[in-house]
Amino acid sequence: MIIKNSIRQLRRMKGRTCLFLLLLLLASGLFSLGRGFQAINRRNMEAYEDSFMTIGTVEQKADTVQEILDWDAGIKAYRIYSRSAYDSYVPLSVLDFEGAEYLSGPEKRVFYGAYNPEYVMYEGGLSSTIIVEATPLEDVVPDHPVKLKLTRVLMGPSDLWEGLSIIFCNHYDPDPEMLYAGKTYIMSLQNRPGHENEKQFSEDNKMEYAPWPVLQSDQVGPEGEALRDEVEDGDFYDEVTEGFYETRRGKRWMELLGTWDYTNHIFPVTGTDNIHLIMAFYNGDAWISSGREFTDEEYENGEKVCLIGEKFARANGLETGDSIRLPFLYANHRSSAGSRFGSSGLGVTPLLNTKGECYPVFEDSSYTIVGMYSGNTGFKDAYMLGHNEILIPSRSVKNSDADNIVAWGPMLGSTTSFQIKNGTIKDYLEKWNRQGIDNVEITFYDGGYTQLEAGMENMKQISRILVVMGLVLILMVLLYFTWLFIIRQGERTAVERCLGLSKRKCFLSLFTGIFLLTACGSAAGCAAGNLLSRQIAGGIGPASYYDTSYSNGTVSRTEAEQTDADDGFPVWDTVWNAAGILLAGSLISGAGIWLNLRAEPMDMLGRREE
Amino acid sequence: MEILRAEHVSYSYQTKYQKVDAVKDVSCAFEQGGFYAIIGESGSGKSTFLSLLAGLDVPSEGNIYVQGQPLDRMDRDAYRLNQASVVYQSFHLFPLLTALENVMLPMEFKKIRKKEASVRAEKLLKRVGLGERIFRQFPKMMSGGEQQRVAIARAVAAGGDIILADEPTGNLDSDNEQKIVALLKELAHEDGYTVIVITHNQGVAAQTDHVFRMSDGKLEQVR
Repeated sequence: MIIKNSIRQLRRMKGRTCLFLLLLLLASGLFSLGRGFQAINRRNMEAYEDSFMTIGTVEQKADTVQEILDWDAGIKAYRIYSRSAYDSYVPLSVLDFEGAEYLSGPEKRVFYGAYNPEYVMYEGGLSSTIIVEATPLEDVVPDHPVKLKLTRVLMGPSDLWEGLSIIFCNHYDPDPEMLYAGKTYIMSLQNRPGHENEKQFSEDNKMEYAPWPVLQSDQVGPEGEALRDEVEDGDFYDEVTEGFYETRRGKRWMELLGTWDYTNHIFPVTGTDNIHLIMAFYNGDAWISSGREFTDEEYENGEKVCLIGEKFARANGLETGDSIRLPFLYANHRSSAGSRFGSSGLGVTPLLNTKGECYPVFEDSSYTIVGMYSGNTGFKDAYMLGHNEILIPSRSVKNSDADNIVAWGPMLGSTTSFQIKNGTIKDYLEKWNRQGIDNVEITFYDGGYTQLEAGMENMKQISRILVVMGLVLILMVLLYFTWLFIIRQGERTAVERCLGLSKRKCFLSLFTGIFLLTACGSAAGCAAGNLLSRQIAGGIGPASYYDTSYSNGTVSRTEAEQTDADDGFPVWDTVWNAAGILLAGSLISGAGIWLNLRAEPMDMLGRREE
Repeated sequence: MEILRAEHVSYSYQTKYQKVDAVKDVSCAFEQGGFYAIIGESGSGKSTFLSLLAGLDVPSEGNIYVQGQPLDRMDRDAYRLNQASVVYQSFHLFPLLTALENVMLPMEFKKIRKKEASVRAEKLLKRVGLGERIFRQFPKMMSGGEQQRVAIARAVAAGGDIILADEPTGNLDSDNEQKIVALLKELAHEDGYTVIVITHNQGVAAQTDHVFRMSDGKLEQVR
C-alpha cells in the first residue's frame, strides 16, 4: 500500500518524473559510455600487453676508430680499413643501477662452439682452407702469383693431389720472404679470387691461394685480457726440414691438422635467459615452429634443454624430446653466432690455444630438445641466428669456460639486451641518463607500443572526461530531484506522520518511488551507454582509434581475441554501473528522507511558533 | 467518560538563542463527546499543547493519559493512526491525491481494502457535506471550506475518537467558518468524537461546550 501510494504520487507528477527519468538516462548513458570505453581500453591494453614486448639493446661506443692497413698484393698497395677501438670494455653491471627495473635482466650472450662429429653441420664440408706441403718451381719472392708444386696434401679436398701445381701469392705481406726451389714448406692456404690484370697464368688464373693465419691462437684470458702466443703475425708457413715435426712448431702444425675436421662439425650454441631478447626472435625473423619455448623454471634452474633449428633437425633426424650431446670446445664472448656462422661458410676460428694445443672440451653434456625454431638463419648477420644455431638456458652451462675463450669484446647490440615493462622507456632513460655513462648506447624496440600507448592515453582521457561528466550530471540530477521529490515534500512527510505513519513507513513512502525511478533510469542509461560504447569502438576499430602505424602486425594478431571479447551484451558491466548509480541515488535520497524525518512534524508544518 | 487527560504537563524547547518554556504545568481533562476550545494569543503555547495531546511531541515533565493509559508507554504512531487525528488551519491535504484518495489514505495505512475504503470515504465526504463533484478533484481545485471539510473527513476516516483541530477556521470566510464549526460540533455531539479546537476566534470558542485559555504556557478553564 505504501509503495503503491508512493508510485501513485510520482505518477501524478508526470512532467517532473519524465524529466528525471530522461536526465538520469542521459547522465547514466554518458557515465556508462565512458566506463564502456574504459573497459574496452583496459581489455585492449591487456591484450596488447601480452603481444607487445619492450627490449633494449646495448652497445658500447668505440673510444677511437683505428685505421688498419692491409697489404693487397693485387693492387700493390695497402687497403685501409677502419676498426672500432676500445680503451676498456664497460662491464654489463653498469646496467644494474638504482631504479632500473627489468622484466628480464641485462644479458651479454656468449656462444659456444660445440663439436660433435655425429651431426652434419654442412653437407660435404665447407672449409675452403687447406694445409699442404709445397715447393716452388724456382727461387721466388711470392709478392705476386707464383706456381708451387704440391708435394703433400695434408688436409684438403680430393681435387688436390701430390704433384699438382697451384698458384700462390703471399697476398697480405708487403715484404714476403723468398721461397727457395728445392725446399718444402708447410702452409695453411685459402683460395680467393685471382689478381686483377694478372695474365701470367692465363690457363688457371681464376683462383689463387693465399696464406691463412690459423696457426696463431686467438685465446684470451677469463677477463678478456690478451694472452701471449709464441706464433707471431706473419708466420704463415714453415720450411719442412728433417725432424721438423718433432719440433715445437712442427707439433703445432700436427695439432692443427688433428683439429682440422672439427671445423665442419662445430655448431654454435648460444646461452640466454630469454630467447625474445635475441633480436631474431624479437622481430620475427625466427619463431618457435614446434614444441615449446623454455619455461621460467628451466631458465632459472639452468636445465639441460635446448631449441634447435628445423633444418638442423631434419638433416640429423632429430625430433622434439630427443637428446643431443653438446661438448663445448670454446666460448666466444665477443660476437653473436649469427655474425660468424653463415649457411654458405663460416668464419674459421683457430682451435688452438696459446699452448699450441687444441682446446680441451670444458663441458660435455646431453641436452633434451624441447622445441624447434624456423626462420631466416645463416645470413652472417649479427642480428640474425647463425647457421644451425642451438639455443640453451645460459645457466645450463655449469663449468667455467675461462681456459677456452677465443674472443672477447664490448657489449654489442647483437649480444647484449634486456627487457623492461611496456611503456617505461622514458622513465628508464631518465634514470639511465642520470648515471652519466656516455659511452654506452641503449636502443629500445617496442614494436610500436609507445605510439599505441599514446593513442590509448587519448582514449583514456576521453573516457575519463565522459565518466567525470556523467558522474557530475548524475549527482546533479539526483541531488536536484532529491530536493524536488523529497526535501520539498517535507509537508507530506509531516502530514503522513500526523496521520500515524511510523518513521520507517514514511521513509518507505518517499523512498520507494524514487528508488524505482532511479533503477529504471540508470539501468536503461547504462545499457544504452554500454551498447553505444561498443558500437563506437567497433565502428571506428583499433586501426583509427589508436595510431597503429608502427604496430599493425601486432595489432592484427590480437584482433581475433578482441572480437571474441566484444561479443554479446555487456550484462555485468551494465549491472555494476547501474548498481553504483542506484546506490548513490539511494544514499542521496535516503539522506534527504532522513533530514525530513529528523525534523518534528510540528516544525515542518510551521506551527512551533504558536 | 474521560478520554484524554493532561497531568502537570510542561514542555520546553531550545531555539537557536534561548530555551522556551512553551507549556507550564498544565493539567486538564477532556470527556468523550465533548467539544472543547483552547483560546489564547499567538505564541501562548496552545499549538504546542495540541501537539503534545496528539503525541507529536513528548512532554518535558508530566504525562498525558489516553483512556487512563499513559501516552509515553503507548506507540504514539499507533495512537494517531487509531485514536487521535489532527486538522490544521492550512488543511495540509496531499496535493497530488484527489479528495477521495486523501480520505482513503488513513484507511490504506490501516490496510483496509481499497474497495471498502473507497465506500467509507465517499460516505464520509457526503457526511461532511461534499457532493460527488468533489470526489475526483485535487485540493488546488477546491475552495478553502471544501478543503477543510476533506481534511475533517480524513481525520474521521481513521476511525479514532479524538479530533484535534488547530485553527480549523483560520483561513476561511465567516460562512465557511460557521459550517466547519457546526460540522465539528455535530461530530462531537452526534457521533461522540471528542473535538478539541485551538482558536483565537472568540466566536468559534463561544460555540464550544468548554473553553480553556492558554496564556504564557499556562492553561486555565474559562467555561
